[in-house]
Parts: sequence; C-alpha cells; structure tokens
Amino acid sequence: MTASAATNAAARPVEAPEVLLEIRNLEKHFGGVHAVSNVSMDLRAGIVTTLVGPNGAGKTTLFNLITGHLVRSGGSLRWLGRDIAGMKPYRIARLGIARTFQDLRLFNDMTVEENILTVMEPGALPFSLSGPSAREKRAKVEHVMERTDLIDKAHVRAIDLAYAERKFLSLARIMAADARLWLLDEPASGLDPNSYETFLRLLREEVAAGVTVCIIEHNLDIVVGISDRIAFLDRGRLLADGEPKSVLENPELTAIYFGDRA
Amino acid sequence: MQAYLLNLGVLISIYSILAITLNFIMGYAGIFSLAHAVFFGVGAYTGALVAMSLSASIFVTVPIAMVVAGVLSLALALPALRVRGEYFVAASLGLQVLAVTVFSEWKSVTGGIGGLIGIPPVDLVGYQIYRPAAFFPLSLAVLVLVLVATRLLVHSSFGRSLTAIRDSESAAESFGKNVPLIKTISVVISAALAAIAGVLYAHYLAFINVESFTLDTSVLVMAMVIIGGTGTAAGPVVGAALLLLLPGLLSYMSFLPQTQIGAIQQIIYGLGMAVLMIFRPGGLVGRSKAKARTRPKDPDTEAQAPASRPAEAAR
Repeated sequence: MTASAATNAAARPVEAPEVLLEIRNLEKHFGGVHAVSNVSMDLRAGIVTTLVGPNGAGKTTLFNLITGHLVRSGGSLRWLGRDIAGMKPYRIARLGIARTFQDLRLFNDMTVEENILTVMEPGALPFSLSGPSAREKRAKVEHVMERTDLIDKAHVRAIDLAYAERKFLSLARIMAADARLWLLDEPASGLDPNSYETFLRLLREEVAAGVTVCIIEHNLDIVVGISDRIAFLDRGRLLADGEPKSVLENPELTAIYFGDRA
Repeated sequence: MQAYLLNLGVLISIYSILAITLNFIMGYAGIFSLAHAVFFGVGAYTGALVAMSLSASIFVTVPIAMVVAGVLSLALALPALRVRGEYFVAASLGLQVLAVTVFSEWKSVTGGIGGLIGIPPVDLVGYQIYRPAAFFPLSLAVLVLVLVATRLLVHSSFGRSLTAIRDSESAAESFGKNVPLIKTISVVISAALAAIAGVLYAHYLAFINVESFTLDTSVLVMAMVIIGGTGTAAGPVVGAALLLLLPGLLSYMSFLPQTQIGAIQQIIYGLGMAVLMIFRPGGLVGRSKAKARTRPKDPDTEAQAPASRPAEAAR
C-alpha cells in the first residue's frame, strides 16, 4: 500500500466515507454513438479514484457530464444528495467541483499570477464587496505559486511558459479554486521524472488536506501509486470498479487496455 | 488653421472614446460588434433630445444617454451572447441595419433623414461651451475619464474574468464564471460609455442625422481599434488619431492629384491595413509579429486525445 493510500486509510472512519458524488445509470449518446452508457459509481470523500481505459472509452465525456459541459442523455448525478444534472457549468463549479483539462485551457494571455487570481474571483461585479480581501487573495496566490514552483514566473504570460510549467499552472489554478472534488484529466502526461515527482508530492499533500480526487490517467505507475480505487471504462461502459490490484490483475481488462482485443 | 486643428482634436477625442469602448469588448471580452455606431447614435439622439427639451447640462444629458444606450444594448446582448462569436458579429450587423432604418424613419423623434437641428451647446455648471477652443479641452477631459474608467475595469476582477472568458470560455465557466452575465455586463458598459461620445458629438455639431451612425462608422471605429492595437491601452487612441489625420495629411501632399484624393485615400487605407495585418497583426501598439505568432487561441489542441473532441464539438 502506498503512502497516500495509507494516510487515507488512517483518516477513514470504519464505515465507508461520505458519498460526494453519486452517479447512477448515466448515459450520453452522440447520435448513435454511446459515449457513456449505464455508468453508476460513487465518488467518496477522501478517496482517490482513477479512471482508466483505452482512448475513446468515455473518460473525458464522463468528466464533461459531471461538470455540466455536456448534458446527459439519461441517468442521474447527485452532489451531496442534490440533483445537479442540467445545471450550468458555473453553478456546478460553485458547488465545489473543479477540473483540469487535457488540453489545459489556460488563460493564455494572462500572467501566471492573473491565471490563479481570477479563479478566486467568480463573481461578475467589477469590485467584490464580500469574500477575501485583495491582500488575502494575493497571499494565497503567492502560496500556490510557491508550491507549484511558479513563483519566479509570476509575471510571465501563460502562453510563454514551458510545457511542464503550463501543466503546473493548470494545477495551481485548481489548487486556488477551493474545490472539494477535483477532476484531473491526464495531469501527469508528458512530465519529466523530476516534475512528475513534484506532481505526485503535491497531489498527496492535497489529498491529505482533504481534497477528493478523480483522475484520468494512462500512466500505470500513477494509477497504482496513488489510487485507492480504479474504475475501468471501455466503450462507454464501466467494466470494473474496485481496489487497484483486483482491477489491474484482471486479465480480461489488461487485454483490453493493452490492445489484445479478442 | 487653429480652428481646423481644434476641430480635429475634438473629433479625435470623440472617436477615441468610441474606439476605446469598442476595444473594451473586442480586446478584452473577444466580442466583435459591428453595431458600435448604434450606441454612438443612441447617445447622440438621446443627448440632443434631452438638451432640447429638458436641460443641456452635461450632468443631465450624459447620464440619461448612458442609461438609454445601456438598456438598448441589452437587446443585442441578451439574445446574441448565447451564441458563438461569429454569430454575434452577424447579430450585431443586423442590429446596425435595423437601427439605421429606425434613425431615418422614426421622423417624430429623430427628425428622419433631415435629422435634428438646433441642438443647444453643452452646459457645464452654467457655462455654455460651444467654441472649439473650449470644447476641445472638455472632450479631451472626457476622453481621459473614459480611458481611466476602462483601465480600472480591465485591471479589476471583472477585467480578469473578461480576459479569462476570451482565452478559454470553458475553463472560465469551470471556475465558476457566469459567462453570459459577464459578457452582457461588458456590452452594457461599452454601449453606455460609447453614448457619452454621442452626446459630445451632438452638442458639438449642433446638428445630427443618421449619416453619422451608419455601418460605415461602425467599420471605421473597428478599423481604428485593429490598426491601433486590439487589447492595448493606447492602441484605440492611436488608431483614431491616425485615421482622422490621414485625410488632412494627404491633402497637404501637393504632388497628389487633388481631384482624386478620395480614391487615393481609400487605396492607402486598404493597402495600409493589409500590410499592417501581415507584419504587425497586433496593431501599431500591439505586440510585434514574433510575439503575436506564439499566441494561438488554444495551442494545446493538437495534443488532445480524440475522446474529448466530440465532447467539445457537441457543445
């Protein structure tokens, strides 16, 4: 058992932790294509769940359904018991669900500092009357930039950053957003070993601090290294959902994953 | 000569206000509107009517014109901002055409093609300002106020939200930003501030008609923004000054055939704009080409796995 899984186990009460997000019989069709079909699963507080499966399995579509970027064709989504299906993405975000994107979608023309600052300011008014003061916000931005090694790049535009820095900015943004559930879409892909270690450390710290994480990841080291649970998707269906070992040692699933489709 | 320069100064100030307010939505929110002259016109007509019937005080005409233009801009913003960028351009074009018809046909209010005549001079705490020597400082002061106001907005949390939406709408909404609301507010602010230019214009000329508020004006203002530098602070002013000074400068060049000056001006505009966009797509004040090249809208898209493609396309 890994360090993070161990801390989770220690923090976990005897009965299963609270269900944050309850997914039941979720469906998404694009024309005749079933991108997500009859998926049911629970995301529980403090549990790191990894979605694995071949490209096109419906992992990102599942994220888009949860965040409201796509509207479901059927099934239900409940956040802390409340029906969130059909809500606009910004309202779902304000409930405490944050995400990163596979293609990052940084605010390219803004500096690193502004990228982080703006996620802390969801309101539409030019000058916010409530919420944290400007000084508190700056302090938090600084803290997040320090943890993600971006402090020297505070005034660099996102577009001018190196690849790994862009990845970390995408993480910094989600760290500043104060969300309870993080949906990370291939957060570690393309990172060099050093950055990769930093990423793992950050993620473990955040999980220990109480963030619930759901990751889409192809790198099996990460999958085994930090997951409490693995959900295996293929062609929109949830084929397995359980302890990492039991899922990864299932020969049928590994055959699908590594391409020996019968 | 002095009167000529002062007149130019007033016009540059007024058009700079228009360019700054258009740049506010074009450069920071990524909303391309071809209806900016509509709000210029609404401001001018409202200002003129208020001045003729109620009071010519700038503290009466300007607020009323701003409110009217702001409210009318909702007619454009509310339905149109729910659609994607290119459709907004088409919707704004439609509004521009519609507005010109209203300006020229609603004779009881706008005076039709003949326009409104005898608009009283602007009243500033009891002083009537009509001589160019006095009007120029006033228009310059208003320009500075509008410039400062838009700068403050751009550097506020609201401005950051706008830029975030422009750079990635889906990421912005994933972080809790109410995209339609924020865009709508930006259009209302832009229209209300553009109305100030209209009020000044009406007072200054003492006569307005539909010809000042046609599609040509909207295109001219957009050209000012693009040539000066979209999304920059000084760009719109530089663009406005350049495009208004050019005709005068050309007429000083005696080697040019003066009878053909209009055609030559159009050729210079066209060529200049094409060359500028090739070598300095960010505008005169904007970033140089080398920098501008490294800022595609979403540079990571080629790294995307196919799984997310249908998701985005279906939005």
